[in-house]
Amino acid sequence: MTEQVVQPLSNGKVSKDLNNRPILEVRNLVKSFPIRGGILGREVGAVKAVSDVSFTINRGETLGLVGESGCGKTTLGRSLLRLIEPTSGDVIFDGIDVTKLNPEDLREIRRRMQIIFQDPYASLNPRMTVGAILAEPLLIHNLCGDKESRLKRLFQLLDYVQMPKDTLNKYPHEFSGGQRQRICIARALAVEPDFIVCDEPVSALDVSVQAQVINLLMDLQKDLGLTFLFIAHDLKVVEFISNRVAVMYLGNVVEIAESKELYGACRHPYTKALFSAIPNPDPTAKTERIILEGDIPSPMNPPSGCHFHPRCWRATEECRKTYPGVTSSTATHQYRCYNSLQ
Amino acid sequence: MNEKLLEVKDLVVQFRTDRGKVTAVNGVNFELYRGQTLGIVGESGSGKSVTALSVMRLIPNPPGEIARGEIFFRGQNLLHLPLDEMRRIRGNKIAMIFQEPMTSLNPVFTVGNQIEEVFALHQQEYSKAERRNQGIELLKMVGIPSPERRYLEYPHQMSGGMRQRVMIAMSLACRPDILIADEPSTALDVTIQAQILELMKKLQSDLGMAIIMITHDLGVVAETCDQVAVMYCGQMVEKANIKTVFSRPRHPYTKGLLESIPSYDSTKNKEKGRLPTIEGMVPSLFDLPTGCSFQDRCNFVTEDCRGRKGMPQLENLALGHEVSCFNPIVV
Repeated sequence: MTEQVVQPLSNGKVSKDLNNRPILEVRNLVKSFPIRGGILGREVGAVKAVSDVSFTINRGETLGLVGESGCGKTTLGRSLLRLIEPTSGDVIFDGIDVTKLNPEDLREIRRRMQIIFQDPYASLNPRMTVGAILAEPLLIHNLCGDKESRLKRLFQLLDYVQMPKDTLNKYPHEFSGGQRQRICIARALAVEPDFIVCDEPVSALDVSVQAQVINLLMDLQKDLGLTFLFIAHDLKVVEFISNRVAVMYLGNVVEIAESKELYGACRHPYTKALFSAIPNPDPTAKTERIILEGDIPSPMNPPSGCHFHPRCWRATEECRKTYPGVTSSTATHQYRCYNSLQ
Repeated sequence: MNEKLLEVKDLVVQFRTDRGKVTAVNGVNFELYRGQTLGIVGESGSGKSVTALSVMRLIPNPPGEIARGEIFFRGQNLLHLPLDEMRRIRGNKIAMIFQEPMTSLNPVFTVGNQIEEVFALHQQEYSKAERRNQGIELLKMVGIPSPERRYLEYPHQMSGGMRQRVMIAMSLACRPDILIADEPSTALDVTIQAQILELMKKLQSDLGMAIIMITHDLGVVAETCDQVAVMYCGQMVEKANIKTVFSRPRHPYTKGLLESIPSYDSTKNKEKGRLPTIEGMVPSLFDLPTGCSFQDRCNFVTEDCRGRKGMPQLENLALGHEVSCFNPIVV
């Protein structure tokens, strides 16, 4: 898990080593939403929520995805599963291009790719018992055909997420946020997936419960050999759980590196500013703070050149003109910046 | 010592519900001095917001009720004030900003309109032009670019960070003695949060007010506060200055809360590959254990703790370090 294969960010070459073949490869993924205007509802423009994103995730690894609201991280996560149809680009899951699949094959591949959503209050149907919620994916995918084996599986799932057996007959409203998120995790695990998109799974939870759910996710990953894309805006949580981390800004991945490397020696000014903005739970530490001016620009009308240049203290003429390409500082560290740090 | 602005004594707030009475705040005591920032931290349902709302006398009644206690603002008991006098203090001497800048501004009025409303209530001697100038001045003070233009805009035309700045501007309109900030940066992104916290610190030193910072983020507390009070199930379980609490927590709950932050002890956590947690969950207020309400989740619980009937009371363990625990951690 720790050994890394050289994975170029965007030139499309894949490592030939099959054992270390990435489970997921994203190439030049674009998702733009049309803006309609006028009485006829004609398309008057487009919002590029995700523009030209490429990365890979290795088997058994956790890739963290961080960025501020509106940067496109959720859109990216959902378009990997085609819950949002990508505009262009390829998503190759275990050798299969997900974007080219017909609905039937897509359903089959979705058995292996699951998602956990942010809000455990909204993502469980209040009219279904937990048992029915957990059995639904099994029925859809024709797993555990007879009642007896299904029940056995449900108990096993509850065991995975450390919930008591009588949970099955209860309704979601009887549970707290942390317990509901455990149920959501159990539901995602029901179909024995290889890959799970965790879309802000702990941000709606209290601090003490957050730690429990993070530990649970990490234990499950170890036991079941799962691969995670872990989307969050809480950088402390992402640093803790991820092997590698990608930083997004206005639809682009601006920097991607191993967690240690990124937190210790980031290259992109935005990454630096993002990290320095985290409140430090140590009142004696005097951290040097970079306070960014202004807000995130609207993705409807992004700034020219590097989208970050209006807020960047290192911006030059060049940054205003063209979007920087990918630079690799090491085999596992790529960034997009003309005036990188260090 | 600076002037004592606020003193809350033995505050008890109860809510009547279909399932009976619940005590949301149970015997809270604290003091606030000019220029000081007091952090109140706790998980959801711990009573931190209810404490703040009681100071403003904004507890909806019914179902809520301040059952016991006293709240002194510069020597005057707020709980005994007639409503119209309270109204003169609220928003004027004690102001509050809320968590959701999206929902706490009125969408059908311009930002300027809403700021002027504060003057209309508390500074009636202002002429129309004065109100407008003061309003624009406030927007400038909280760092809103092109304030003259923004003054005429509606809340939906602004980003979350801008709206929170407007909220701060409104709350500072009358130069309050106390600003109560209820999760002022929780709904914002980290880079915007850093801007807002920085702004609040600057305004505090400029205007010399006291701040009560209510948050669940211990990082925010460490950055902004002088004193911190940790709340659990309606009680203050630990209260001290910020350095003491973060370096030598004596209540097991405080210790657990600190340790469950991924970056608090990051090298140790990374090595072990997991985070220390507080087992279980916050008990329902309907169904609190008798005695110490933390006993079922506590790593330091003893037979003696379980046997006691009464709740532990805040006790001074060291100079200015108060803890309510039968078996405080020895440091």
